[in-house]
Amino acid sequence: MTITSTHRILEERSRPSPAFIESLQHPAIHPAPEWPFQGHKPAQPSGWKDSAATPTESAIVIDCGSSTLKAGWSFDKKPRFLIPPLLAKYKDRKYNKYCAFVGYDTYADATTRGQIRNAFESFTSVPVNWDVMEGVLDYTFLKLGVDSEGSIARPILMTEPVANLGYTRRMMNEMLFEGYGAPSVTYGLDSLFSYRYNRGTSGLVISSGHAATHVIPVLSGKPQLHSCARLNWGGAQAQEYLQKLLKLKYPNFPSKLYMEHMESLLKRFAYVSKDYQAEIANYLDWNGLEAGNDIVVQYPFTEQVIVEKSAEEIARQEERKKESGRRLQEQAAKMRLDKLIKKEQDLEYYESVLQQLRDAPTKKEQKRILDDEEFKDETALERQIRDLKQKITKARNKDLGNQADEETLEEQLNKFPLLEVPDDQLDEDGIKEKRHQRLMRSGVEARIRAKLEKERERARLAEEKRLDEEHRLTDRASWVAGRRAQRQGLLVKIKEQARAKADSSNRKGLASQQRMKTLANLASDGPKRKRRGGGDYDDDFGANDDDWGVYRTVAKEEGSDDEEPEPDPVAELLNIEKDLLQYDDNFTQNDTLEAQNDWKKSLMHAFIRGSLIPDDDSQRDFHQLHLNVERIRVPEVILQPSIAGVDQAGLVEIMEGIVMNRFHDPLQQKNLLRDIFFTGGNTLFKNFGERLKSEVVATLPSGYEINVRAASDPILDAWRGAASWWTGTPSSERATASVSRNEYLERGSEYIKEHDLGNAISPAYG
Amino acid sequence: MPPTPQPKDDAEHQALLDSMDTYYTKKPFKRPEWKARRNKNIKQMVSEAQRREASVLATQNNSGASTPLPTDGATTPQPSMAQAAQNLSTLVLERNLAKGAGGGSSGPGSTNLTFALGPAVTYTNIESAPSLQTKKHYCDITGLPSRYTDPKTKLRYHNSEIFGVIRTFPQGTPDQYLAARGANVVLKAFPHMAQESAPA
Repeated sequence: MTITSTHRILEERSRPSPAFIESLQHPAIHPAPEWPFQGHKPAQPSGWKDSAATPTESAIVIDCGSSTLKAGWSFDKKPRFLIPPLLAKYKDRKYNKYCAFVGYDTYADATTRGQIRNAFESFTSVPVNWDVMEGVLDYTFLKLGVDSEGSIARPILMTEPVANLGYTRRMMNEMLFEGYGAPSVTYGLDSLFSYRYNRGTSGLVISSGHAATHVIPVLSGKPQLHSCARLNWGGAQAQEYLQKLLKLKYPNFPSKLYMEHMESLLKRFAYVSKDYQAEIANYLDWNGLEAGNDIVVQYPFTEQVIVEKSAEEIARQEERKKESGRRLQEQAAKMRLDKLIKKEQDLEYYESVLQQLRDAPTKKEQKRILDDEEFKDETALERQIRDLKQKITKARNKDLGNQADEETLEEQLNKFPLLEVPDDQLDEDGIKEKRHQRLMRSGVEARIRAKLEKERERARLAEEKRLDEEHRLTDRASWVAGRRAQRQGLLVKIKEQARAKADSSNRKGLASQQRMKTLANLASDGPKRKRRGGGDYDDDFGANDDDWGVYRTVAKEEGSDDEEPEPDPVAELLNIEKDLLQYDDNFTQNDTLEAQNDWKKSLMHAFIRGSLIPDDDSQRDFHQLHLNVERIRVPEVILQPSIAGVDQAGLVEIMEGIVMNRFHDPLQQKNLLRDIFFTGGNTLFKNFGERLKSEVVATLPSGYEINVRAASDPILDAWRGAASWWTGTPSSERATASVSRNEYLERGSEYIKEHDLGNAISPAYG
Repeated sequence: MPPTPQPKDDAEHQALLDSMDTYYTKKPFKRPEWKARRNKNIKQMVSEAQRREASVLATQNNSGASTPLPTDGATTPQPSMAQAAQNLSTLVLERNLAKGAGGGSSGPGSTNLTFALGPAVTYTNIESAPSLQTKKHYCDITGLPSRYTDPKTKLRYHNSEIFGVIRTFPQGTPDQYLAARGANVVLKAFPHMAQESAPA
């Protein structure tokens, strides 16, 4: 993280209690969600046999939900089968045969999971994939034990989406009447069945299911469908939203986050906040985390095993290392010795050559000897011998370990005797040698100067330090103030550097644009002039030394030129903070930049990793999901759809709009508010009813009696209501709601009958 | 912690699969000659329904079949209703509905009568309208309440620390966060425009 603030980066957050830190050693870790595979479920043919006595009175009741299809017989107390409307149909290459799995069976293994198709359009409650739907119904009837030739031979009672589309109804009708030969089909709305089952007559029915949330006002047992409303938010959207949030929170999470797993996480850990605004504000505080806001979900992982080495093994390894070191040393010593011997031999040889040279009778002979050895003259030979001697003594000293006392620079100064001698006393070689010596001498002098400079600098620093010390001892307050000012300055500098760095990477930034401008100027040939008229044009770049500075301004890399590098402000800051820690009583460890930037104390750490878990980089932690804010953020969307970018009013606003704007009779309004009823799987979140009530009370004008109640079983009551309606209604009355086979053949495939538990007919579809 | 309670044995698993496979299972109740028709997605279905709806309305308006409305001084909602349905503007529809309901005599009977002739309840028009309330703002990263918006990425953030985090995001990440809130900018290429701008 870059440093962006020169002030306190973190607000001081209350610290965890010791008991909590203790509990962190053994945090409650929840296992990762699993696939909802339920194993093989045998068919239940008993229902079919029971229904055989009264084939027209016993209906197959299907609550056709987009999350699960519930199927059973009208005389059952609860549905016999819950089947997700999924089909996995594929060709098994190994056995060379086709396979078709339906419902929970599709989760059997990775192959079947990969082939899953849903009967419903995603995020809607409308079936669109009819081959999938066919497979699901096949499976349903098979499991229910339907056993008759060419027809299912029992009436069908089925739920359909609110304001079902014409094509969907037609397809379903065609399938049921023509594909399965149903004697009659009755459609109804799941939420109204659920309401009926829970003995409601007048009230506001809220049905929040897998794909959508509907609000349907009911007056005296009659649904006021013209005033119903749909909010495009349900369990599926919530799952997708959680998935999105977790993907953003853990961009490198090693396991894949499946929707089915999200569903399980939501069911287990999410809840509706009683007071969202107040709760979310402090959700990541320590006391919040201590209260268990953070849920740890552990995905499977393999710990990287670090093999512990025994002491013996370590010792052996150490020994081996030493051994090889020694061997190398020996080799090096031997090589040195060899070289030394070689040098000594060389020396001996050259000395003999020198002897021969001196003994040589003629100049010609001398020249021959020198030529043979490729020496220019005698002095060169002598120099060679002198060098060798020097090298040998040096090597010997090194071998023996006693450091040859290096000549000091001052001594070296005296080694240029020729410089004292006037030129006219020297021959040509002498003058050359003198020139050489002068060069050498100036080099030595420069080194002496540099050394002095260094010493002076050291003295200056020491003096500075002493003065600083004195300042501290005499006037501590102003000394501390000075240090603090320095620290502040450095923080600003660090910030500016960070900003400059960020700017330089931003192509549209001011700095980058300036740089590009300069480069463009450099590349162009100066101000454009007509070539024809004037002679040679010289922009005299470089005439002024400062011109070259332009290359410094366009250099991207820091320190690419030979300028002295700037001292690192961060290192300087550390030094100052060390001083402050020592001498300033008001400056504590918590005030240091390091502490303030401590990732483990940051809000992001609380968000991503929950509480302070000691081992931060382990594989275990890497495979963990921490659910905290999401637990209330996701269920909140139904009340504030804008959180997830749904451009619709929230549930309570919709309810208010329906009750206050669509109904103007105060009696009707009263009746609706007296019984606010909610059903559907998406209302199962803890506190849903409580929150709904408090929101409605807060939104609506006072003076209304407001009751909020949940269905006895928000998931299965729709089916139960449908079954009880069938058994509790005389067949003559049922006939006014059902479409018989004859009617279907006569009136067409989009024909339905309006009744108190079903969709209304709209002219466009009728 | 295996993700699924998988049988250890391959043969055992295959037996399980075979027991669940319904492809070759006999379905005597089904008529073999019947085949499902073409799948249509919601978009197709809705647009078809709307075309039909519009034509029905047009017929009603022209034929005078829709005239007998109990008007007690209130404006008839029909023409604007037709418009609303065609424009797919649910907000307008809702407002008009409210007006209609307010003008007509109250009671379930009369409201039913008012709407029996219009496009009463369709999949599109029961979709609730956008909110008229002020939206509360939350931090895009943490979900905590937020009072600030980063002018560069347009992300909302809770405090300076989160701001620092935002500024370290690699390219593309802010867009993903915006997408989760439905506030990202989606660029669409229009083929006819591409053709126009292409050099001749």
